[in-house]
Amino acid sequence: MSAVPALGAERRLVEAASRLALPVALVAVFLLFSALAPGFLAAANLQSVLVNNFTLLSIVAVAMTFAVSAGGIDLSVGTAVDFASFAFVSLVLAGQPVPLALAAGLGGGAVVGLFNAVLIAGIGISPFLATLGTLFIGRSVQQLLTNGGNPVYLPPAGVPESFHLLGRGSLAGLPVPLLIAALVIALAAVILARSRFGRVVTAVGIEAEVVRYSGLPLKAHLAATYVLVALIAAVAGLVLTSTVTVYIPNSGNAFLLNAIGAAFIGTTLHRHGRPNIAGTVLGVLLLSLVANGLLMSGLNFYWQQVGTGLLIFTVLALSFASRKV
Amino acid sequence: MIQQSTQPIIHFQGIEKSFGGAKALSDVSLTVHRGTVHGLVGQNGAGKSTLIKLLAGLHRPDAGQVEIDGEAYDHLTPHLVESLGIHFIHQDRLLVPSFTVGEALFLGREPRIPGTPFLDRRQMQRRAQEVLQRYFGLSLPNSALISQLSTAEKQIVQITRALLDRPKILVFDEPTAALVKREADLLFTLIRRLRDEGITILYISHYLQEIEALCDVVTVLRNGRHVATKPIAETSAAEIAGLMVNRDIGDLFPIREKSPGAALLTVEGLSATGRYRNVGFTLYRGEVLGLTGLLGSGAKDVLRTLFGLETAEEGTVTVAEQAPWRASPVQAARRKLALVPEDRRRHGVALDLSVSENTTLASLPRFTRLGLVDRASEAAEADRLITRLQIKTAGREALLRTLSGGNQQKVAIAKWLSRHSDIYLLDEPTVGVDIAAKVEIYALIAELAEKGAGIIVLSSDLPELIGLTDRILIFFRGEIAREVVSDTITEDALLAEVTGSSEATRYVG
Ligand SMILES: Nc1ncnc2c1ncn2[C@@H]1O[C@H](COP(=O)(O)OP(=O)(O)OP(=O)(O)O)[C@@H](O)[C@H]1O
Ligand SMILES: [Mg+2]
Repeated sequence: MSAVPALGAERRLVEAASRLALPVALVAVFLLFSALAPGFLAAANLQSVLVNNFTLLSIVAVAMTFAVSAGGIDLSVGTAVDFASFAFVSLVLAGQPVPLALAAGLGGGAVVGLFNAVLIAGIGISPFLATLGTLFIGRSVQQLLTNGGNPVYLPPAGVPESFHLLGRGSLAGLPVPLLIAALVIALAAVILARSRFGRVVTAVGIEAEVVRYSGLPLKAHLAATYVLVALIAAVAGLVLTSTVTVYIPNSGNAFLLNAIGAAFIGTTLHRHGRPNIAGTVLGVLLLSLVANGLLMSGLNFYWQQVGTGLLIFTVLALSFASRKV
Repeated sequence: MIQQSTQPIIHFQGIEKSFGGAKALSDVSLTVHRGTVHGLVGQNGAGKSTLIKLLAGLHRPDAGQVEIDGEAYDHLTPHLVESLGIHFIHQDRLLVPSFTVGEALFLGREPRIPGTPFLDRRQMQRRAQEVLQRYFGLSLPNSALISQLSTAEKQIVQITRALLDRPKILVFDEPTAALVKREADLLFTLIRRLRDEGITILYISHYLQEIEALCDVVTVLRNGRHVATKPIAETSAAEIAGLMVNRDIGDLFPIREKSPGAALLTVEGLSATGRYRNVGFTLYRGEVLGLTGLLGSGAKDVLRTLFGLETAEEGTVTVAEQAPWRASPVQAARRKLALVPEDRRRHGVALDLSVSENTTLASLPRFTRLGLVDRASEAAEADRLITRLQIKTAGREALLRTLSGGNQQKVAIAKWLSRHSDIYLLDEPTVGVDIAAKVEIYALIAELAEKGAGIIVLSSDLPELIGLTDRILIFFRGEIAREVVSDTITEDALLAEVTGSSEATRYVG
């Protein structure tokens, strides 16, 4: 008789263990590089991890998390980053005030989101194919706009001071980009886990037909999701542009694979394996630490990708293996 | 009656099984004899499906063992079980809709053209047709898509898949839940024939008349325990029901003041090519209106049209005094219509959402403050409905996947109770629901009607339809063939109307 409650406890332990894969990996990676890579632990290095690797990727990965929650994916997050960046730079170049240019940047991202929304919610194309199409079209559009992909530099002199605030400013001793990322993460966490919209999006991802049969506007939620994804990604585009004062066509795609990886690694943190913001953020942290750690250990750049790939496998495998027992 | 053989073929010994601390089966010992039809009954969540899944090798027992044909196994696997000649028609195993009949029938054991890696399609077609013809007098092309088949045909495919393997034991988990009476009768004939051919049948059902008519022996489970196994000749449906719930059920149907109020829903001249023609009726406040008809009679299509899932080409639907409308599910829900769909696993509930998330899915605005879900009031609502409908679950946070079939159905109903709808469209509302819960759901329907809601029940369970409703609209070939007052019709007469054979029976006698 007494064996039975014990069995229940054991099962709960197994469940907890499968959710621990990500935090454990995070600690392990941290310890590993502290031992292996001289300088990894230095405050300056860790801060650079946060500012250079973590900030932008976390914003894009948070965006991706909404698409994955809704049962889809957005391969065009990078396109939204680029479009936001392009619109922002163009208006500043044209001498428009910075706030207006920022708004235009968000608008540029929203265009990408709306385009996806029409394809996915309106026409009913699968998110994978729709956003893949958007990715290709976005690439061509950017090449056409920039004479085949030439970067658009902002002249160091002619740019208003406020332009740099987003990317290089600091507030109460903290870098503004990090603060923006924190704000995006916090808002996204509330929206996804606590809001009605987030609840319905989660339900769409789990069983879209049930959402429709419940009298909820399925298409509107799908459309809103992809617009939201693009808007969040656009924020990353604005911060990026403000930091580097240049628009490089098609540079946003650099975030794509890591963002997808982080969102999926993050699902292991959730009790029911759902996409969630905390998990995504830890996933981004893990990927950022690994990228930096490999760099600091003096490993060939090309090996970094291998390291990242192995890591994603390991976390997912650990989590699923312990779940299977 | 066949001769009761004494040779045991399956023997469960001291089976224990828990899920995360909750006991699903405790110390169950049970013997099934060769060549018998052995019924397995019990309330929702009693452990019937769990026992079957243990036998199928889908769950592993915490303790105890299963003996098959005298051989003891403490570790069954689906593969091993199939090689022992045991086949299952599971309650919740759906066929993949995008498969063809041939793929579904031969998945994992496709015959090859000898000496080549190629599938022997001709042999597949021949063997499938042999079985289909022999047992069902039916021919289905192997190339037909599963998604194009009716529920009954899908089941035939599942049974055929098993028969292709010349099984020794066939296990049915609530096979008639989705069948209309005539299809169910065909199934019973088939089961008797299989038994006479020496196949042992394990049969789970909530329809005790079925158990009485079909089984040689019946076993009752209650709360995961084995309470009785009796030869059917020595017991009765009433006794079985008593053993299942351990109390007196009382009247199945509530006594209700039948005093319909104002018109609530008016349907006029509704037509859709190939589905229904010129359908018109009015639903009044406080009324329970029954719809019935054979598969393809149009009744189900009309119900789906009312909720905006299908469109009519002509005609109007008016709710209360509001203007006529072309419905979508969103608009229908706004006009306070509720639909409990027939296919709960695909449309009614989301298996990977929790009980509480499912319960409030259709009524989220009621639990939202400033765009955020108010978890406390949501939890209170979930708990209220869990108690009200006696939903057996580990808690409101449990995933729906972990509930038994009947309890999932209760959640599908709870979802709309939470919305406080005016018009309830219930498509086979008590499929898979145990007798005590049925009484509970019937009482609930009566209460809703008394509070002024209008309820449309589509059911192929004719006694249920007669006992529960005020009026019944009988659909035949896309039209309302007849309207009857429920008190004035017998089950046989209703069946004759449904099948369109009333003229014939009238002449015969
Ligand atoms: N995978 C699972 N995880 C957790 N609990 C489960 C799981 N499967 C079944 N249960 C629980 O075990 C108990 C028995 O469930 P089972 O499905 O065997 O009931 P049943 O007798 O088939 O009921 P029904 O008539 O409703 O189909 C229920 O309380 C159910 O919630
Ligand atoms: Mg069951």
